Amino acid sequence: MNELKQTCKDVLTEKKARLIIGYSEDKNKRVKPFIARTPEDAEKFVFNHHAVNNLAVYISRFKNNFEGKIGIVVKGCDLKAVTALIQESQVKRDDLYIIGVNCSGVVREIDKEFSKDNSQIKCKYCQTKTPAYFDAIAEESKEFELTVDDQQELMTKIEKMSAEEKLDFWNEQFEKCIKCYACRQVCPMCYCEQCIAEKSEPQWIDSSATARGSFAWNTIRAFHMAGRCIGCHECERACPMDIPLTLLTRKMGMVASSEFGYRHGMSIDEPTLIGSYSTSDKEDFIK
Amino acid sequence: MKIGVFVCHCGENIGRTVDCPAVSKACASFPGVVYSEDYKYMCSDPGQNLIKQAIREKGLDAVVVGSCSPHMHERTFRKACESAGINPYMVEIANLREHCSWIHNDIPQATKKAIDLMRFAVERVKFNTPLQTIKVPVTKRTLVIGGGISGIQAALDVANAGFEVVLVEKEPSIGGHMSQLSETFPTLDCSQCILTPRMVEVYQHPKIKLLSYSEVENVEGFIGNFKVTIRRKAKSVKEDLCTGCGLCAEKCPIKKKAFSEFDEGLSNRPAIYVPFPQAVPNVPVIDRSVCTYFKTGKCEMCKKVCGREAIDFTQQDTFVTEEIGSIIVATGYKLYSIDKKPETSIYKGYGEYGYGKYKDVINGLQFERIASASGPTSGEMLRPSDKKEPKKIVFIQCVGSRDESKGISYCSKICCMYTAKHAMLYKHKVHDGEAYVFYMDIRAGGKNYDEFVRRAIEEDHVNYIRGRVSKIIEEDGKLIVKGEDTIAGLQVTIEADLVVLATAMVAQPEASKLAQTLGVSYDKYGYFQEVHPKLRPVETATGGIFLAGACHSPRDIPDCVAMASAAAAKSLVLFGADMLEREPIIAKVDESTCNGCMYCQKVCAYNAIEKKEIRDRKGKLIKVVAYVNTGLCQGCGTCNATCPSKSVELTGFKDDQIFAQINAFAEV
Amino acid sequence: MEDKFEPKIVAFVCNWCTYTGADLAGTSRLKQEANARLIRVPCTGRIDPVFVIKAFESGADGVLISGCHPGDCHYNAGNFHARRRWTMFKNLLEFVGIDSTRLQFSWVSASEGKKWVSVVDGVIDSVRAKGPFTQYKKMNKEIEIPVQTGEGVPAK
Repeated sequence: MNELKQTCKDVLTEKKARLIIGYSEDKNKRVKPFIARTPEDAEKFVFNHHAVNNLAVYISRFKNNFEGKIGIVVKGCDLKAVTALIQESQVKRDDLYIIGVNCSGVVREIDKEFSKDNSQIKCKYCQTKTPAYFDAIAEESKEFELTVDDQQELMTKIEKMSAEEKLDFWNEQFEKCIKCYACRQVCPMCYCEQCIAEKSEPQWIDSSATARGSFAWNTIRAFHMAGRCIGCHECERACPMDIPLTLLTRKMGMVASSEFGYRHGMSIDEPTLIGSYSTSDKEDFIK
Repeated sequence: MKIGVFVCHCGENIGRTVDCPAVSKACASFPGVVYSEDYKYMCSDPGQNLIKQAIREKGLDAVVVGSCSPHMHERTFRKACESAGINPYMVEIANLREHCSWIHNDIPQATKKAIDLMRFAVERVKFNTPLQTIKVPVTKRTLVIGGGISGIQAALDVANAGFEVVLVEKEPSIGGHMSQLSETFPTLDCSQCILTPRMVEVYQHPKIKLLSYSEVENVEGFIGNFKVTIRRKAKSVKEDLCTGCGLCAEKCPIKKKAFSEFDEGLSNRPAIYVPFPQAVPNVPVIDRSVCTYFKTGKCEMCKKVCGREAIDFTQQDTFVTEEIGSIIVATGYKLYSIDKKPETSIYKGYGEYGYGKYKDVINGLQFERIASASGPTSGEMLRPSDKKEPKKIVFIQCVGSRDESKGISYCSKICCMYTAKHAMLYKHKVHDGEAYVFYMDIRAGGKNYDEFVRRAIEEDHVNYIRGRVSKIIEEDGKLIVKGEDTIAGLQVTIEADLVVLATAMVAQPEASKLAQTLGVSYDKYGYFQEVHPKLRPVETATGGIFLAGACHSPRDIPDCVAMASAAAAKSLVLFGADMLEREPIIAKVDESTCNGCMYCQKVCAYNAIEKKEIRDRKGKLIKVVAYVNTGLCQGCGTCNATCPSKSVELTGFKDDQIFAQINAFAEV
Repeated sequence: MEDKFEPKIVAFVCNWCTYTGADLAGTSRLKQEANARLIRVPCTGRIDPVFVIKAFESGADGVLISGCHPGDCHYNAGNFHARRRWTMFKNLLEFVGIDSTRLQFSWVSASEGKKWVSVVDGVIDSVRAKGPFTQYKKMNKEIEIPVQTGEGVPAK
């Protein structure tokens, strides 16, 4: 932890960035996002298993007007969001000073201690413990024993259901939705100033919190994440009604990978999934 | 909004299966419809007058017509409504014929469907907005890239119509490959005799600006409004002073170091040279890579003997910028090189034929130079190695073409014809000579083409052997050609004096780079891509850029000339009006909601979308948004569907219009 | 007597190929079933998969999307982008429980009038066999679907 604090202090002292977005701890040991503008502020930075937030969500708020470089503390999964935002012209690589941290898992339930039973689903199949690229790196990496990826099991179970059973299952889940849009708020890729859910002339998505409206919202949001979701699972963490949103976004990621060999957020130069095509894309489902 | 509905019976075509009066009555009860009637023939004059009258009397804002397919009469009804005073884009057509009465038998079913289709159209038109055609100014000048027969033809056609042409050619002279040929099929016309008058016409034409020894460096802008930067390479000779006397080339001491490109390497040329006697312009250039002055600073022989002081060693490349309205690409072809070290890595070599190893294995253009009266042998049939007259020549067709393993799957189209021509030329000059042609098929599909090949076989007794050649070995001054006669089922060995290979036509190696500069697409072979292979073969997907000649695909001279005139015609269509009028069905960005993710730009096939910075009065960046170039957008709507926030919409097919149709489905 | 179930199909078709192919089917007087209603778009690239959701919300039992063959798109690449989108959307809908019979795709060119008839009839038959989309209709019933026939935008 000292390494992170020192690195951030140096960055601010040497004016390599004019502010750094990172994590800090309050007196109740709750870890929250925190912005440091001076080397003194940087004393407050922490990084531990409770640093769940994806800080990349703040990047698009600047609207490309950074007035100098901004620093950001990123875990491996968060960095994919940064890469994705660069690909979508929300920020340039040169606008950022990326401070990577080696991560060995974050908690699911924030009131309990980190353990192999209290870890995010994404940590169970994480391939990016060290961020792929960075301007500075802090924190030693620790080994962590992963348990079974039970989300994968659940997905396989759902896929085996009949269409009617599936729709019943999902309607049951979607009926919980209260249209708070927290999933959208916390997602780094949901940076649209006027979301499609807010468009009223014409109305794309029924805004009511009913079966029809919730089905439309969640399905369409999952589709908008096709080829754009980087799998940070913040949406599910933020949902107050415990809807298994990452089942949908992960399914989209798996389809992108199996059908097109595509993983979003891995490389700045790679053409995006929806923004490109191949003449040899599969079309066995087209008559 | 006051909507008028008009249901056409189309005689019996709709009327027999669809109860038109009932449809008209049902439409009268739709919200927003103030007038509804049916008539036998809406597209006829009385029918159109009915519509115009209703517009005037009822003060209609929009019109829906139930009739045949919009592909038939949408334009008719739009014009009619425009003349009555409403915007033509406030008209919607419901297809009650091709999509209803003609495909169903059951009258109640068809009538119900017709009512549904009318409802869709009525709901849609409520969201139509008046649109104006877009006007873009046009610079009435054409740039022709390439001075071969295609470029020359296109330039002359445009210039003769009264518009200025800038013709850019990378070699010192125009004429292209056609100037290297001795005679052309199927008439056996002397190639230079028919070409040089055209070349002179280009040079002397008051409307054509000829920039020889120049290349296109950069292209900016869009249809009707291009800005092209051209690099004029340094000739080291002042063009306006040179009289073309030729003394410099005669006195140049470099005699053996440089090989003539025009003679395909079969003869030498000096360092200061004019490529061929009939070159246009007849101004020499200095090849700085072999010139003694540029290598060592000594020798100024050409400068000494030039009576006009036209030699200028200090000349540098210069750049000119031209304002251009349309571009015609006529960069032509190259022959596939099958040296031991192939020039381009995308094609594999044909080492087994010994080209580049044996002097007497030559390609088609080299044979043309030998047969040519102005060539290295003054038109005598003499082979390159010992200058003896060959008594047996073997011609091999399909060398490289139609061969996936060499990277070329296509047929080069002209080789069967020119091989027959070569064999005939040879037989006309060497009466006791024997000519053998190894072929796979004979492709002679033009006017008098097959008759030409038959003439070679029946009158000039050229021996055609159906089979491939496996290997050529040189032995004692003879070339042993080992092949197969598949019809007789025999192995064939011929001791030839000369072998001529009909090598594949390939795209120029810099074609793909030029394509990228222009922003046009090209295929895996480097050939430029047309918009539609059947109906739009001379246009590219980039508005204002047209194709002529072999740069598009292998073709012979008549096809090149025809295509060049077609490309010129397309340019003239563009120049027909001062302002280019385009359908207003194009995309538009709502900058207040756009967040600059640029997905629209990624999916636009026409590069019509750019980034635009919005700044406040102090210059501070507020946001970056997408911006659609109205000159380039073709109106496909892919950007609209890809945009996550639906900030870019396709005017004329906006989301609210399509939703209105989908929502009306609830009443189905 | 109970009315036999007749499916309601929405077909989104591209103007240059499939719409023209359907016209050709009409000109050739090839008879087809009357359950489909066509909505014309300039290119399949214009079709946002959300149109499909809207179609189900408006009571469709099945949706058909059809366009130009790959490589033939009037606008060069619209159908390539569309194809990729459809793969993602189709997999999503299947995962969420909308049977693949209810959303079908085809490539029909302007010269394939006969193929159009077989495609449309095939879709209608398969959706008829599947039955009405009661699950979605149940979701719709919670709020009555307002038929959005508004006043529209004033013309001047």
